[in-house]
Amino acid sequence: MKKEKIFEDLLKAVVELDEGKAQKAANELIREKIAPVEGIEKGLSKGMRIIGEKFEKMEIYLPELLMASDIFNKAMHVLEPHISMADTDKTRKGTVIIGTVRGDIHEIGKDIVTMLLGTAGFTVHNLGKDVATSTFLEEAEKNKADIIAMSSLLTTTMMAQKELIEVLKDTGCRDKYMVMIGGAPTSKEWAEEIGADGYGRTAEDAVSVALELMNKKKYL
Amino acid sequence: MVSFMEVVNRALTGPYFSEKDYNLKVFVPSLRELVKKYEIKYNPENPIPSDDDLADRVFRAGVELYTRTGTYCVDTSRIIKFTEEEIQQALTTAPSAPVFGEGKEAKPLIARKPESDIPPWCFLGAGGAAVSNEQLYVSILEAYGSFLPLADSITAPTLKTINGKIVEAGSPLEILACIRSSVLARDALRRAGRPGLPIMNCIATAVSDAGKIAGSQFGLRTSDGWLIGAMAEMKINFERLNEIAYVQSLGGHIVAETAPLLGGYCGGSEGVAVTNVAYHINCILVMRGSTQLTFPIHFLHGCTTTRDITWAVSVSSQAISRNSHFPFFILSYTASGPMTRMCLYELAEAVITSVVSGASIEFGGVTKATVVDHFTPFEPRLASEVAHGVIGMSRSKGNEIVKNLLSKYEEDIPHPPQGEKYEECWDTCFKQPIKEYTELYQKIKKELSELGISFRF
Repeated sequence: MKKEKIFEDLLKAVVELDEGKAQKAANELIREKIAPVEGIEKGLSKGMRIIGEKFEKMEIYLPELLMASDIFNKAMHVLEPHISMADTDKTRKGTVIIGTVRGDIHEIGKDIVTMLLGTAGFTVHNLGKDVATSTFLEEAEKNKADIIAMSSLLTTTMMAQKELIEVLKDTGCRDKYMVMIGGAPTSKEWAEEIGADGYGRTAEDAVSVALELMNKKKYL
Repeated sequence: MVSFMEVVNRALTGPYFSEKDYNLKVFVPSLRELVKKYEIKYNPENPIPSDDDLADRVFRAGVELYTRTGTYCVDTSRIIKFTEEEIQQALTTAPSAPVFGEGKEAKPLIARKPESDIPPWCFLGAGGAAVSNEQLYVSILEAYGSFLPLADSITAPTLKTINGKIVEAGSPLEILACIRSSVLARDALRRAGRPGLPIMNCIATAVSDAGKIAGSQFGLRTSDGWLIGAMAEMKINFERLNEIAYVQSLGGHIVAETAPLLGGYCGGSEGVAVTNVAYHINCILVMRGSTQLTFPIHFLHGCTTTRDITWAVSVSSQAISRNSHFPFFILSYTASGPMTRMCLYELAEAVITSVVSGASIEFGGVTKATVVDHFTPFEPRLASEVAHGVIGMSRSKGNEIVKNLLSKYEEDIPHPPQGEKYEECWDTCFKQPIKEYTELYQKIKKELSELGISFRF
């Protein structure tokens, strides 16, 4: 009963943007010796999913999304030291390198995807905007990435998405990473044309696609 | 007015904030507080309100917002701030009737008021959408010149390839494509018999400052318009400031572009409306514009024809036009594409909203300006005819028509029809729309007449 109440509090804390409540519930969970992973799955992550859905319906806006993500991360700081290595591996969905491609400085959409991926259990390295192909590849190698995610908001910068995939092919590294793309002028057709593994139309989509890609990767 | 040198100085020495802190500790709380303080409330029942007091409150909120937020320079992490006195001075001394175009096409861009009898300036074309090759680029620009008699200026497409090579931003191909697009656009308008028509979105193909500056050496005139965009929300970078420095020194016109995002840091319609006003001042002071070009846009749908955006466009346009003589345009993006009923309803909705609320129009981007070759001269043609058909119309009448139009397409916005490509609905040889599109256009125009638009053209 107590356990359920703590999960409920963690969920509500995220949805109601109550940082104090999140910290309190996270500390209580540790005191009660409940597995932190359970608290994340049944409380915090569930709350973030509700927040994501509310954002998709425009019931809340970007600042609320950022606040919820901040609260999620602060609660995670309380829980993380108590998560066993085995549980960390179990909850970790994968590593994503994400950025807006070279020449393009639009990043609000990409930042939202970063946030949602992070709260869905991915380790995300956000390289920011105007990111060179070589930087994507170096960071992917350095961080042992599973997925490279590229955003482009302009028809003149979309080509950089294609270029990265070609470089991966030319250097014999195409099978090392899953590649997903997004951004206003991009589409499922463009993703297929350039040989990307996935396309996210919206931020929520991007999370589902990343999860699907990780699932696919397991069986490769 | 505060000089541009002083603006640059403030970009280098102003208060230091991380970008995250600027977003969440300066911009968002200030905006939310002011929306409350000035009692600004979105009403979906009336997308075009006839409430002068609301418009004036939105204007005061926008001015106050800008005194608090200034403009954030992302390269230095510093805020370019202005005092209230400097803002008032800028509003007093801002350009009021800049002249664009050459020869018989030269004319002043006059600021309008809600329900004004002054014809809106019709800035027509592609709204920066991408065209696949140079042949189509010339074909469509020539068609703009000859098929759009109500065009006061042209908005050219973005060139996606040159010599068959895809233009990659930041590469030498971008520089070459910018040069090519200037040369070809001028030539196409000459072929259409309107050599003096100003190109007002120079240079759509440019992503970098180098591209814009290089391309402008090849046929652009100081009477054209250099489109320079702010970053969301209330930000600028060195590349854009470099372009401003160049165009100012050249004596050219800056068309200062802004796009408050519904769903982003602005929040909902109320925040977008207030931010649009704050951007208006940013366009005068930081961007040194001859005019503001703004398009409040929906974060999820990527278009400007939703009900909540319509309200924000209308209220902020009324706010600006009632309180400032600095001319401005509303740029519209439809969700759907050419040769669809929805596209023609959407464009009529957007144009009516802008014109009765006191704005001039840029039309525009169809299919959200994101699908290559998905635009024709027919959409801007109808947009200009609607714009002239609602001159002097009351806001309340505009509101009724817009509500009717919204009811026809609103539900389809999440999954709009993409429509046809330019070559599929336009006869490039005889330079006219195909029969099927003409019939659709006539049908919709008749429907719009029945709704109360008095077409003069």
